[in-house]
Amino acid sequence: MTAIVVGASSGLGRALAAELARRGRDLLLVASDARDLEALAADLHLRHGVGVRALALDLAREADPGARIAAALEGIAAPSALLLPIGHSRPDDELALDAAAIGQLLAINLHAPLAIVHALLPRLVETRGTVVLFGSVAAVRGRGRNVVYAAAKRGLDSLYESLRQRYRPAELRVQAYRLGFLATNLTHGLRLPLPAAEPAAVARIVVERLARGSSRRYLPRRFALVALLVRALPWPLYRRMRG
Amino acid sequence: MRGYALAEAELVSFDRQFAARVRVQKPDRYRLLGALPADAPRIARGGGVSYVGASFGHGAISQDLGAFDRLLAFDADAGRLTVEAGLRIGDLQRFALARGWYLPVAPGHPGATVGGCIAADVHGKNPARDGTFRALVESIEIESPLRGRVVASAEENASLFETTFAGFGLTGTITRATLRLARPPEALAVRRVPVAGLDEAARVLREAANAPVLYGWHDGRPERFGRGVIHIGLASEARGRRRPKPGRDLPARIAPLPFAVWNRAGIALANGWLALREGRAGQSERSLSEALFPLNRARLYFAGYGPAGMAEAQWLVPHPRFEAFAAALRDHVARERPLIALIASKLFGGTAAGLGFDGRGVALAIQVPAPARPAQRAFLEALARIAIEHDGRPNLIKDSTLDASVARRAIAGFDAARTRLAVHNPGGLHTSELARRLGL
Repeated sequence: MTAIVVGASSGLGRALAAELARRGRDLLLVASDARDLEALAADLHLRHGVGVRALALDLAREADPGARIAAALEGIAAPSALLLPIGHSRPDDELALDAAAIGQLLAINLHAPLAIVHALLPRLVETRGTVVLFGSVAAVRGRGRNVVYAAAKRGLDSLYESLRQRYRPAELRVQAYRLGFLATNLTHGLRLPLPAAEPAAVARIVVERLARGSSRRYLPRRFALVALLVRALPWPLYRRMRG
Repeated sequence: MRGYALAEAELVSFDRQFAARVRVQKPDRYRLLGALPADAPRIARGGGVSYVGASFGHGAISQDLGAFDRLLAFDADAGRLTVEAGLRIGDLQRFALARGWYLPVAPGHPGATVGGCIAADVHGKNPARDGTFRALVESIEIESPLRGRVVASAEENASLFETTFAGFGLTGTITRATLRLARPPEALAVRRVPVAGLDEAARVLREAANAPVLYGWHDGRPERFGRGVIHIGLASEARGRRRPKPGRDLPARIAPLPFAVWNRAGIALANGWLALREGRAGQSERSLSEALFPLNRARLYFAGYGPAGMAEAQWLVPHPRFEAFAAALRDHVARERPLIALIASKLFGGTAAGLGFDGRGVALAIQVPAPARPAQRAFLEALARIAIEHDGRPNLIKDSTLDASVARRAIAGFDAARTRLAVHNPGGLHTSELARRLGL
């Protein structure tokens, strides 16, 4: 069975691909950077002997990413897992973006997961597979920063609920993770209020849980408490937290 | 800007003689390697295990190549392996050994990266037999804002290829390399040959020039100066009889003990223990992986230098001058009684070129604690003087106490090599503490 990792060339996506390959899963890797993708595919094949196919795809510009991925599955084993560790944010996402920038953020963070899930659902249901969505703690409560990004990630919560409402776990497992800080290029050099988790550690947990039932959880787990506190903050106090 | 993320970090050289607060970029995609402004001074950083400040320096952005550690292509019949430059040598050896190949030239620290080994043109367990790292490299890919991405080999961009070995990362950021592997011995039978001094050590080394593993350990104390043992590792058929326990790789950063263990009493104890354990003639079996990375068992040894750290002076002295050099050094040590933790000896058989550490002769690596102390400093200066008097050549990538004037006196063609480096590094865009100290 093949696992599909979209956003595989770096960060959590690369760690997920490595963990899946370590456990012997064939892979279809999707990311925008062809050179990185080819390097990763070669590495995982050489180290673990798994079959790896790579598809370079710019999710910000691709009108129908689901169809492209479905086409790339031709001739390889049916997909049993679709993992979507896609995320793109920008520091100026503070209620001043133009329409093109908003469209790009929505295309990557919301449209792409929706379109890919729609396109691959029949195959995943056929294999009683797993869809894994990746949200963010940034979407727990709206702020004046990461405005579009958080709205898009909130949209994934809705997608998770829709999938769960439509499919029983015996038909399709749906798993969603709201991610806290990860030690990737995106957080490199930032002063973070909490330590960042290593992507490899998070990937181990995600891959270990693939065969379990549908669920939604925070990773690292400590961010469940953070989310609880953020939600519980009285509005006047929350409003003053502009940092 | 995304991808242009920089973090401030305090970096320290492995010998603890240089520290600097610098900006570090951690690109995780190829396009981010070129994300820095074209005029931003920079230097590639691999495992960060160089004894000297070769991968960082004041005012330079260190580009951490840790994410570029992938295997790209492997020809299992020919033993040809293409990798990214951030691949650690320990990981490479594990991959290759599991498939019936190995890299015969590898530094002692498994955390060194392929790019670092090229930039330093490191030597391995017997440079007289295997040469230096350049002997294994078919081609490299190297990036620079001025030149873009370039493939270099002996046939293509040959000057850049040549200059990049022992070019200390100053010719650009090495991103990929294609390496020629060799068939490993099944195991090693390591003979121990005790020697009474360095002159005898040189004779034993010369007689065993073709052994896959060949090096000596020697006492540096005045009253026992040069006594030690030569290890001669020969290929053995004893497969499976001696399986090494899987151990941890030596970490890149070793926290020093709060006090120095390597004072006179500590050095006497350690040398006594070594003499007891290794000082008698004999033979033992050793796995190849143990022989390749002896430093994996040396964590406490390095921590024992304490906060003041250590320095390693390596000098390669031609055969005709070696005995006189060893005698002069012995006399100096007897007179001045410096603190020497350990001396290692190796045989070299190549050609001295550029800024690299090669030639035909015997090399001594002399490790001393607290090199900033005046007496220790004076000893290292005297060592350099004695070595130069005997046509010695220093290892620039090991010795943080060398300056440009010593390097110029010791290396014939130092200025020519520096000029060649400048051709491939106009404006000194790629720079480091090592480059600053040596005026490269």
